[in-house]
Amino acid sequence: MSIWQRWFGKPTEPLSSELLARLRELPPAVPLGAQALHAQRFIVMDQETTGLNPQRDKVLSIGAVLLQHGQIIMGEQFEATLRREQNVLNPSVLIHGIAPSAAAAGTPPAQALLSFMEWAGACVFLAFHAPFDQRMLARALKNQLNMQLRHVFLDVAELAPMLCPEANVGRGGLDDWVKHFKLQVLVRHSAAADAQVTAELALILLKKAEQQGIATLAELNQRLHAWRRLQRSRQHA
Amino acid sequence: MTREQAFAEAGRTAVQQNIHGTMEFLRKYPPFAQMLDNHLSYLVERCVLQFYCAGETILAPADGPVQHFYIVKQGLVRGERAPADGEQQHTFEISGGECFPLAALLGERATRTRHLASEDTFCLQLPREAFVRLFAECTVFRDFALRGVSSLLDHVNQQAQRDAVAHLGASYSLDTPLAELMARTPVTCASDTPLQAAVKTMHEQHVGSMLITDDAQRPLGIFTLRDLRRVVADGLADFQQPISQWMTPQPFALPSSASAFDAAMAMTERHIAHIAVVDQQRLVGVLSERDLFSLQRVDLVHLARAIRHAASFSALQSLRGDIQRLVDSMLAHGASSVQVTHLITLLNDHSVARVIELVIAELGDPGIAFTWLVFGSEGRCEQTLHTDQDNGMLFSCDATDDSEALRQRLLPIAQRINQELDHLGFTLCKGNIMAGNPELCLSEHEWQQRFARMISSATPENLLGSSIYFDLRSVYGPTIGVERLQQFLLSHIQSNTLFQRMLAENALRQRPPLGLFRDFVVAKSGAEKHTLDLKVQGLTPFVDAARLLALANQIAVSSTLARFAALVERGVVDSKDADAFEEAYNFIQLTRLQLHQRQSREGRPLSNRIDPDALNPLDRRILRESFRQAQRLQASLALRYKL
Repeated sequence: MSIWQRWFGKPTEPLSSELLARLRELPPAVPLGAQALHAQRFIVMDQETTGLNPQRDKVLSIGAVLLQHGQIIMGEQFEATLRREQNVLNPSVLIHGIAPSAAAAGTPPAQALLSFMEWAGACVFLAFHAPFDQRMLARALKNQLNMQLRHVFLDVAELAPMLCPEANVGRGGLDDWVKHFKLQVLVRHSAAADAQVTAELALILLKKAEQQGIATLAELNQRLHAWRRLQRSRQHA
Repeated sequence: MTREQAFAEAGRTAVQQNIHGTMEFLRKYPPFAQMLDNHLSYLVERCVLQFYCAGETILAPADGPVQHFYIVKQGLVRGERAPADGEQQHTFEISGGECFPLAALLGERATRTRHLASEDTFCLQLPREAFVRLFAECTVFRDFALRGVSSLLDHVNQQAQRDAVAHLGASYSLDTPLAELMARTPVTCASDTPLQAAVKTMHEQHVGSMLITDDAQRPLGIFTLRDLRRVVADGLADFQQPISQWMTPQPFALPSSASAFDAAMAMTERHIAHIAVVDQQRLVGVLSERDLFSLQRVDLVHLARAIRHAASFSALQSLRGDIQRLVDSMLAHGASSVQVTHLITLLNDHSVARVIELVIAELGDPGIAFTWLVFGSEGRCEQTLHTDQDNGMLFSCDATDDSEALRQRLLPIAQRINQELDHLGFTLCKGNIMAGNPELCLSEHEWQQRFARMISSATPENLLGSSIYFDLRSVYGPTIGVERLQQFLLSHIQSNTLFQRMLAENALRQRPPLGLFRDFVVAKSGAEKHTLDLKVQGLTPFVDAARLLALANQIAVSSTLARFAALVERGVVDSKDADAFEEAYNFIQLTRLQLHQRQSREGRPLSNRIDPDALNPLDRRILRESFRQAQRLQASLALRYKL
């Protein structure tokens, strides 16, 4: 494998006309506008990757849960393992537990990613440490489908301390918040289960937002900006 | 999508991790632990998961008919029931893995309980349509919900009680333990106390009874005002004699944990007015009928005694109206349908016995020992106010006697008894199943032959007859002949599997009135349009099945519930099943009693036909489930007898 391939993946094969047609049908991204927080379709996602370097590592699996109207819809779940032939056995196998054989048996990445975006639809994404997921997903979509990811991501790791300033949660990792709210995790470090527990955390946070008078996506976004400025000024102080 | 497809589809998504994980979580709790995979995944994937922060209301009466079945996934929910008049606010807690609100969901109504999150709580919420579908499809889930219905049944009973109390204006429950009703400091004396001193104490203390005890407070005897009347009537001169000479020794006693109902029944059966309350052999109190009935307009004991001693037929007749009021009162005091039917039977037995005595007094003693037999519902102690005569006569007859001659001497008496009973409201039997019928006025040997014929040649008439005659009991006269007849019957039936099979076929003929689409089957035309028969269609399946199983298993008791209890004891019927059958049977019977009450209050003729649409949704739902239990029982009979 050349260095080139190692960094950017195999050169993309030309997409079939069927995939191209489906790509064109994808709905546009939802801006953080005046729509009500309550009614917004949120997709809470988590990915297992070969590592933590968004420039180099690859998506191994995607798990996602639909959250709307203050409810997690149990019957609407997305789960896919992406086919990775030359998956290198690296230390993260021990964390995400996806054996090379399972990855080899997965769905072709282009197919899996397109199905995911179709399923996600006109949504706002939520994830814990969302910037990482956003970059991983963006790069995968670019490589596999030559598609620009324009969807908005909100970071649950940021929303949580903003909406629960009284909580004392250590370093503020997902495990810390799970412990703080005594959430039950079915299996940690599987994309689906992490997405589920992140969604449960998001349910709590959206309820807090509502109680704090935040009714729309735009208002939530404003609060986030203000909170970030405050955090920065505290760091500098 | 058909139902099968829907469940098959559910099976596929069960491999999804979060569905699977949630199923695993639920499997720690009943009823989910026992549910099939595809039913459980059907449930989980139709759920939504919602979060409620501490203090938030989840479900309230004002929300209208309940739309979801809630399972607490995490946290704690508090139920607060708004206090009805004079009740205390009732609260309870629902924790992880538990569900609510079954009663309101099944009743298709709003909840009466406010449910709020008492800490941060996640609830899985299943929409009503999915709940109903699962209820129809999954027996485990249905049984669970039905057990929920049993507390629901309590509630219905309480409702019935409240209605009746409103009608009467008295309030205490027949389930009240004697500890709460008895006089705690019974008036006692030693056995050597002079009669005069004892009576003086009774007079000073304003009590009607004196308990005679030993040094350890063990009751030795009782002396009541009635005994004093006897003393005076006997013309006793010396009031200085010790009371032990005049007391009734070994007074009847009950423990303080016995119920008011137990006490009332004991007083009625034994014609006594006082009961010693004894714990661990020590006298702890005394209960008089005044204590028991001070709040009640109709006096059970008094009524029983009045019936038993009625001087004439017309006096008896005037007392019958009191039974109606007594039934009102019984329901008002929380008696179950079993207690009510038991009590009606008891008072009817007294009436029958008194009628027989009065007839004999009028026509003269025939000089032949005879036993008055009762069959059918009377034989099972399951009579309601709506009853007709099913009776017969058994007389002893030596080999040397001419049974025909004896019969001719007894028949006029039997026929007169039938007529007098008819005047009292025990309608003449349309099928002529009455002692005045020469075919039912038989010697012990003739009865045995008659029963043997019924068993050996199973004609439709004989099968129908067996459903009446084989629930038999004696009400008057020596009992030994009846006991032998019952043993004869049991041993003949046990050895005749063909007859058992015919009985089973017969027991399956009355199908519970349930349609394919989860609704009632009612008469389509005529005067009975839109109605179903609670007795024939609802109770008969239980009665027939219990009779068959009891007769086939050497069980001599005749009441349906006692038969089920004996069948459980012998391992023939599962105890949980029997509980469900009992609840269902009681509910149908209670519905029937309430129907009769209403009819008689409105001056209409009593009938067993009810329009299910006239019931409130909750009662309708439970009635439907009760019929479903009858279906289950029939299905198990069909399996057992390979029909």
